[in-house]
Amino acid sequence: MGQELDLELLGEILKQFQPVRENLIPVLQAVQEQFGYLHPDAVGPVAKFMKIFPSEVAGVISFYSQFTTTPRGKNVIRVCRGTACHVRGGRTVYQTVRKFTQLEDGATSEDMRFTFETVACLGACALSPVMVINKAYYGKLNAGRIEAVLKNLP
Amino acid sequence: MDRLNSVADLTRYRLALQRRRDPNMTEIAVCSDTGCQAWGADEVASRFEAELGGEGTNRKARVKRVGCMGLCERGPLVAIRPHGIFYQRVSAEDVPEVVSETIDRYNILGRLLYADPDSEKRFVYEPEIPFFAQQKRLLLSLNGLIDPLSIEEAIVHGGYTALEEVLASWEPARVVDAIERSGLRGRGGGGFPAGTKWRLTLLAEGPRKFVICNAAEGDPGAFMDRAVLQGNPHSVIEGVIIAAYAVGATEGYIYLRADYPLAIQRITTALDQARDLGLLGENILGTGIDFDIRLFQGAGAFVCGEETAQIAAIEGRRGMPRPRPPYPEHSGLFGCPTVVNNVETFANVPHIIVMGPDVYSLIGTEGSTGTKILALTGKVNNSGLVEVPMGITLRQVVFDIGRGIPRDRKCKAVQIGGPSGGCIPEKLLDLPIDFDSLRAVGSMMGSGAMVVMDENTCMVEVARYFLSFTADESCGQCAPCRIGSKQMLEILTKITRGLGTLKDLERLERIGHLVQRTSLCGLGQTCPNPVLSALTYFRDEFEAHIVRKRCPAGVCEALVLSPCQHTCPAGIDVPSYVAFLSQGDYEKAIDVIRERNPFPAVCGRICHHPCEGKCRRGEVDEPVSIRYLKRFAADWAYANQAPPEPFPVTRKQRVTVVGAGPAGLSCAYFLAKMGYKTTVFEALSHGGGMLDVALPEFRLPKDVLRKEIDYIQAKGVEILYDSPINQYHTLEDLRAEGFDAVFVAAGAHRSQELRIPGEQEGIEGLSYGLHLLRDVKAGEHVRMGNRVLIIGGGNTAVDAARSALRRGARHVTVMYRRSREEMPVSPYEFHQAQEEGIEFQFLVSPTRIERTNGKVTGVRFIRMSLGEPDESGRRKPFPVEGSDFFLEADMVVPAVGQAPDLSFLPADSQLERVKWGALKVDPDTLCTNIPWIFAGGDFVTGPSMVIYAIATGRRAALSIDRYFRGAKDPLIITDEKYHFIPEPPSRPEDLDQPRPRVEMPSLRPAERVSSFCELETGFTEDQARIEASRCLRCDLERMKEIESRSDTDL
Repeated sequence: MGQELDLELLGEILKQFQPVRENLIPVLQAVQEQFGYLHPDAVGPVAKFMKIFPSEVAGVISFYSQFTTTPRGKNVIRVCRGTACHVRGGRTVYQTVRKFTQLEDGATSEDMRFTFETVACLGACALSPVMVINKAYYGKLNAGRIEAVLKNLP
Repeated sequence: MDRLNSVADLTRYRLALQRRRDPNMTEIAVCSDTGCQAWGADEVASRFEAELGGEGTNRKARVKRVGCMGLCERGPLVAIRPHGIFYQRVSAEDVPEVVSETIDRYNILGRLLYADPDSEKRFVYEPEIPFFAQQKRLLLSLNGLIDPLSIEEAIVHGGYTALEEVLASWEPARVVDAIERSGLRGRGGGGFPAGTKWRLTLLAEGPRKFVICNAAEGDPGAFMDRAVLQGNPHSVIEGVIIAAYAVGATEGYIYLRADYPLAIQRITTALDQARDLGLLGENILGTGIDFDIRLFQGAGAFVCGEETAQIAAIEGRRGMPRPRPPYPEHSGLFGCPTVVNNVETFANVPHIIVMGPDVYSLIGTEGSTGTKILALTGKVNNSGLVEVPMGITLRQVVFDIGRGIPRDRKCKAVQIGGPSGGCIPEKLLDLPIDFDSLRAVGSMMGSGAMVVMDENTCMVEVARYFLSFTADESCGQCAPCRIGSKQMLEILTKITRGLGTLKDLERLERIGHLVQRTSLCGLGQTCPNPVLSALTYFRDEFEAHIVRKRCPAGVCEALVLSPCQHTCPAGIDVPSYVAFLSQGDYEKAIDVIRERNPFPAVCGRICHHPCEGKCRRGEVDEPVSIRYLKRFAADWAYANQAPPEPFPVTRKQRVTVVGAGPAGLSCAYFLAKMGYKTTVFEALSHGGGMLDVALPEFRLPKDVLRKEIDYIQAKGVEILYDSPINQYHTLEDLRAEGFDAVFVAAGAHRSQELRIPGEQEGIEGLSYGLHLLRDVKAGEHVRMGNRVLIIGGGNTAVDAARSALRRGARHVTVMYRRSREEMPVSPYEFHQAQEEGIEFQFLVSPTRIERTNGKVTGVRFIRMSLGEPDESGRRKPFPVEGSDFFLEADMVVPAVGQAPDLSFLPADSQLERVKWGALKVDPDTLCTNIPWIFAGGDFVTGPSMVIYAIATGRRAALSIDRYFRGAKDPLIITDEKYHFIPEPPSRPEDLDQPRPRVEMPSLRPAERVSSFCELETGFTEDQARIEASRCLRCDLERMKEIESRSDTDL
């Protein structure tokens, strides 16, 4: 938080795209892929490049849930709140992770170790209830197993 | 591979690839889709590669990482082809043995075979497995067969055959004709005829046309499209190219959600492969046709599944829908004619071309041709991905393919169609799955996400859950959806917190209908469906939350301290007494129980324990043996405690109770506890009601009941035996004697008759169930038959059967007119009876009792069949013509129910009755139409379970107390904790190590039938403490939350 944005690197990324409106979302995805999040200072340069208003860029960023304007922690914990997980005890997962990380949905810890999010369905319904940490899936969870996994995270 | 420059090149290429295949090569297909990967499929595949790559490679075997095979519950899945051997739950450690035994020596490893949850029967070959046998895998036919990263394999197995045919000799119009003729309807949820879309786009004018493949798949619980994209990507690409050819499009998009990374990888690879081969791009197969596909990664918005919103997203704008017309077919992406169809819709196209539309339309039903892929999840045994012909019923999918509900629970409802769908209650599961049938009941097939729910699912909470999803995903553009979804969510949240009112239900319906009618797009138009359908079919659950602050499923946290206590009709603080037992504090344990139940020893032996059905431990391994622990506490108390002091009398009013059964005595006990002087009038010479008269000794010994009644008397309740209330001593007389209120709990002792010819009083060998039990219990001489037929299926019937056996009957058969599943008696009693040698026959009904010289000689029966469900949802049995048969017997015992006997009330009594004859009482206050007369228990409800009687007794006591104090507000009984909370367990349970219940020591069946000794002998102290330590203390979670006042809603 409060880090400077590398504008030169940002420029390199933008150069790979045609400055047409329909490339806005792919551009934002590429920027987020590089920096891990969309720094507020990136809005101006992207708007200028695409020849549209900064408000339009900001409007697109705020609409889609993939985009985040704050940096994420080292371990992004996504707890599934899909129907199958809900029916098979997803709330326990939610509460256990919440209690362990002391974070609310969408927040990142001060030490940048954890980000806690919920998602509407991870599509691994046979393993419900499920959580994903970065790219690893954990299924058939109960309170004990969740805590064991969380304790072992870097 | 070289680029193919003509259609003929493709044909030749395919033939060359097919010739190159080695028919002797064994293929080990390891499912490597998202679900199985989460189960560890990657390690399994790598291990296979390591094992096979080793020396001794006479083996002609290779490993293939394949797409989703659908039996996700049992992953990792491994199929060995061409043999067709199917292994499930394969771990990396199993691999060496699979190679050395099955691959090398054709030995099957039994432990890795699929076993049916019910029958434990194992299946070796894939097509035999019930999960697969009923499916029709058309689109998924190559999943599990081919490596999705290999275009060669796709082509060898027929991929791009349709494209070949179309480009060789079909005009675009002919393609559109074929799609129209096939009846193909959109598979994303809308169900709009694909052929019509294509025709409109073909006819539209414009220099540029587009095809968009909608792979947004946002419904929670839906992963059908993903499985097709990740398992057979070329089938989708082929469908898109054919569509482009048909309508004249030169550019295409696949809108794929960014959070499907594996799908993105595989589709990207597949697109590159198709381009390299000349199937995509400029001059496709030398035909001069240009068409290419771009992959667009959806940035996360459920509403972008709607076609106009999706188009907006691709154009780089906020993904908000716009009104239609104009439809995308006329003005779509960049204002140009555009076909937008779902992944599954496109995947159907090659099949329609190859088999021809007429053959295709033979699959499914007339209005809904073809197959549908369903994601079957939730409370179902075989959770996973299935493909079925349209028209199959929901019941077939849940039970024949899904193999029913885990832990023998009952199916409550099925939610289909995700947040746009409605819930369908169990009684309607015979409806077919297609585009139109489910709309009639307020639901829709939607994308095919099907979630199964059981009795532990709260339908109010499910409705709230779906609305929280749609309210979050609403784009905000139109007021009805933006504001309406939020308002419905707020109301539902209030209801789940016990703060709702009945007016809220009206509001929900009003807002819901308004949002349905006036929202701009499908998201808004369908988001009220879950709550409106829940209100239609489960209104009683909403009312329970509102009026009685109860969540019947035991879920809503604001109302439920712990599911066991909440479900107990008497509201016993179960976690506390179990915890005290585990800590060795037996005094406190019994004290906790007696706060709500003065019959701990009885209930510890015969209660039907609804608490155990909701126990959360039961989700891990087995429920805590709450009932047996209650018995231990009670037996300890009677063996170790001194006789108690009576409750002090602090009130001036006097109350009388008619009937010393469990309802009456509980009422008297709780009245005494509150300081009232209470007198019980009992007609018989012992107390206990049914517990005394009917319950066999091997389930409830006489002295146990006597100790309970003695305790109640010692606490200050006066019981007068041999003192019936009748025309000589009426209720009015009691009033005159100075009693200020009376609770009538005279039970239900009158046996119902069969009403069939031959059923005559006085004939030898005919004995009603209740009479038989009473005579046996009283030690009377009972003339027992040799061959005994018991008619009925409840507790009385089974108790009578087991008593008859113990009294010397050789053959005892219980004849029940409904099916096993509908039998009221508990599963473990049924099991015990069977162990003792009692036979059961189902779906049989008696038509005539035969007799000779005044003695029973047998009974004529007719077989029954279960018909359509009636209004209550129960399937009505009806006789099957010509199926009658005769069974010899020398004793017939009808046990088909009891009714209350109101004849002791004066004929001119002012007391109001209900239709079937019992007294009419207010369900909350138990008051009759006369203010000082209350009534409850079996006397009002008909035969029921003992814990309901006890709960009713306490309710009556509270109600009478309020009557005296003039309280006017409704009586709502909520869960309360014991005043002292036991300490949390010193060591938390390791739930990875399952610890099943301690088994209750019992007499062996052979020992049992020779006597009336109690067949369960009770826990030892050690056993009790070990069993009690299995409790997860669910109440502690809730205590912390109540204290910290946190908001726990998702």
